[in-house]
Amino acid sequence: MTRPVYILGGYQTDFARNWKKENKHIAALIREAVLGGFDATALAPDDVDVGHVGNFAAELYCMQGHLGAFLVDVDPALSGLPTARHEAACASGSIAVLAASAEIQANRYDCALVVGVEQMKTVNPAVGGDYLGTAAWYELEAKGVEFPFPKLFGKLGDEYDKRYGLKDEHLAHISAVNYDNAKRNPKAQTRSWYMSEEHARGEGKYNSVIGGRLKVTDCSQVTDGAVSLLLASEAFAADYAAKRGIGVESLPQILGWGHRTAPLTFADKVAESAEDRYVLPQTRRAITDALERADTDISQLSAIETHDCFTTSEYMAIDHFGLTEPGESWRAIEDGVIDFDGTLPINPSGGLIGCGHPVGATGVRQLLDAYKQVTGTAGDYQVPGATRVATLNIGGSGTTSCVFVVG
Amino acid sequence: MARDLRNTMKVVVLGGNGAMGAGSGEVFAAAGIPTVLLARTRDKAETGRARIESMAKAEAISALVTTGSYDDDLAREVADADLIFEAVSEDLDLKRVYFEQVDAARKPDSIVATVSSGLSIAAMTDGRSDSFARHFLGIHFFNPPNVIVGCELIPHAGTDPEVTAFVEALLAGPLGREVVKTSDTPAFAGNRVGFKVLNEVAQLAEQHGVAYMDALIGPHTGRAMSPLVTVDFVGWDVHKAIVDNVAANTSDEANAAFALPGYMAKLIDAGHLGNKTPATGGFYRAADQQTFVLDPTSGDYRPAAEVVAEPPEIALQMKAAIRVGRYGRAMEIFATARGDDADLMRKVVLGYISYGLGRVGEIVEQPRDVDRIMGFGFNWAPPSVLVDDLGARRTVQLLETAGLPVPRCIVGAAERNQPLFAEPNVDTGRFYFA
Repeated sequence: MTRPVYILGGYQTDFARNWKKENKHIAALIREAVLGGFDATALAPDDVDVGHVGNFAAELYCMQGHLGAFLVDVDPALSGLPTARHEAACASGSIAVLAASAEIQANRYDCALVVGVEQMKTVNPAVGGDYLGTAAWYELEAKGVEFPFPKLFGKLGDEYDKRYGLKDEHLAHISAVNYDNAKRNPKAQTRSWYMSEEHARGEGKYNSVIGGRLKVTDCSQVTDGAVSLLLASEAFAADYAAKRGIGVESLPQILGWGHRTAPLTFADKVAESAEDRYVLPQTRRAITDALERADTDISQLSAIETHDCFTTSEYMAIDHFGLTEPGESWRAIEDGVIDFDGTLPINPSGGLIGCGHPVGATGVRQLLDAYKQVTGTAGDYQVPGATRVATLNIGGSGTTSCVFVVG
Repeated sequence: MARDLRNTMKVVVLGGNGAMGAGSGEVFAAAGIPTVLLARTRDKAETGRARIESMAKAEAISALVTTGSYDDDLAREVADADLIFEAVSEDLDLKRVYFEQVDAARKPDSIVATVSSGLSIAAMTDGRSDSFARHFLGIHFFNPPNVIVGCELIPHAGTDPEVTAFVEALLAGPLGREVVKTSDTPAFAGNRVGFKVLNEVAQLAEQHGVAYMDALIGPHTGRAMSPLVTVDFVGWDVHKAIVDNVAANTSDEANAAFALPGYMAKLIDAGHLGNKTPATGGFYRAADQQTFVLDPTSGDYRPAAEVVAEPPEIALQMKAAIRVGRYGRAMEIFATARGDDADLMRKVVLGYISYGLGRVGEIVEQPRDVDRIMGFGFNWAPPSVLVDDLGARRTVQLLETAGLPVPRCIVGAAERNQPLFAEPNVDTGRFYFA
């Protein structure tokens, strides 16, 4: 029996902001997320025992490494705090959460501060696309390729098409749902953008092909953002709850986790799964690991926050979570299952396509949104009566998969 | 009959080819509302439709947009429209010509709105039918409407309250606007408070210089764009229309701050209107791949490299703090720095806080109304954000020292020792620029 890990809350910066236009250093992003987290949880700097930062590529985007130390910069009371930075491409945030929760489970610390952060609007899209290519096997898959990742996730769609058939109209619906959900989220990057399913289905000057079968509307955003999350041991959470006159059972926990890494190149992944019913079997294993550890059946989930870096990755998540048989994600789309008012809404926050995708922050943002849903504090994007929410965060072309169940 | 937001409706935009007409049309169409753009000719209206596609970055939005000309289509299109949205030039006589045609053609329960940025709403109903007057109000979007979500809703004394409530719900709901209801007073709330600061800086530029004033009251004081760059962006003619209107038709403690500087009046006559007249320029002029800066005393332009010195030390210190997210530290520097630069910066910025929150009870009902229109309409730090980062008690002391009126809400916040800014979903850090 492992020790429980509680989530006390956290803070998300407004993903619509452009921090380069504000002429700010990545230290400001981290600072706002940390102070916002303290404010949201009514915790003080000296309550925290350890800090973990998830970040993909600040060395490239911001010429800045050693991000753990920026936690200490926030308040003199944090001087001496043990910190580390974690990197696993777009799953960096989840890896930071895993490290923090493992330390709580190991009884090393009682209260952990986790921050996911990425500042991406410092460079033009072509340069940023090249930087993101380092999340693939750069020399083999990205070097000299314009926008390598849409092309890799376009291939994921092609693989589905080859094995099971895939209609682009189903991808368009995924895009439209995410944009529509984002309109309810006051921190979502695209909350005031125009979108319609007709636009997502169409192709033209304003919805051009970016890679293979993927168009602009199939892609997540280039986003600046930071998210904090405060995790606690049972003893700390009990004390925290007692001081507020609430029962510790009313605080959500990380009920289960899954973490698997597949071969780095997309070609090797496809080769590995050639005889498998699932296109990305290691992602499927991460999901089943988490659900088993959480003793949770898919029918018990109220919502999923998944990694829709592209519409094809959400399409993959639908059958890999077990909403449908492998290759039949389209059924859940056509039946409205994943819609905001569906039986298992996916990405009520708007996901990476609607809410935004500051790469290293995304995994932490998913956990914070899961926390908000199960505590009934998600505001206009609250899924009524949500009790248990799963997250799926993916690094690379399905390479590192991290799954959490929160409830 | 109760109006249903979900079945709203048909909108006809007059002046559908202009920046405000097309931009407003985009907001309606993006919400799924069939929108008709009217202009002098259908071809002109079509340019509005192309602008809408460009703003939405989507050809699909055009499915909801049709076009026509005043002569051929106004009467027919207005007859079954639910909302007629006027966005022609800011000229009361011209607007009245169109309102007369609308009055004759509209169905009895349709709503008529003007996008005017500060003319009297009530005056626009002179000579119109009772029905027109009861269904008429101002909806002031800021340019560009598809990007700036703050907007003002201005009923006049004769507007049916149900009409006002319906439009407010439409704007705040399907159209996704941050709505601030204001009284029908000159320049409403946002432009009244904002142009007081802009014109005061323009006045001070005569003594202190253009580049210096923009460096002193720059982005680090809570705005994306420096004040005189903003006036060039808005256009000197528009600036003059707004401050002249306020100067002539209001009489509060800041009346003198609305007097258009003499040098601006002269240069406007000589065709200097800011960015819209690139050859003559405004406070700044781009030529030969360099920027020239106006010398207000002579009317000459000098290369920026010659007149722009290093920004004042107080500005550099505030920028350094803001760059790493230490906004409270920046305001501490603002409050405590000594010297002429600091005194002048405090005069303008504290004047903004005092004048902005001082309009509560006159133009708007609550402090948050001023905060929301300055934050979401002007993209300036809302006065309450500055008060919170300064501390309410200290703000009261600073205002008293500066001899400025102390708004009641700041006194209240100081007494309660509570923050004044009341928007839980807004990152206040977004208003500070390094």
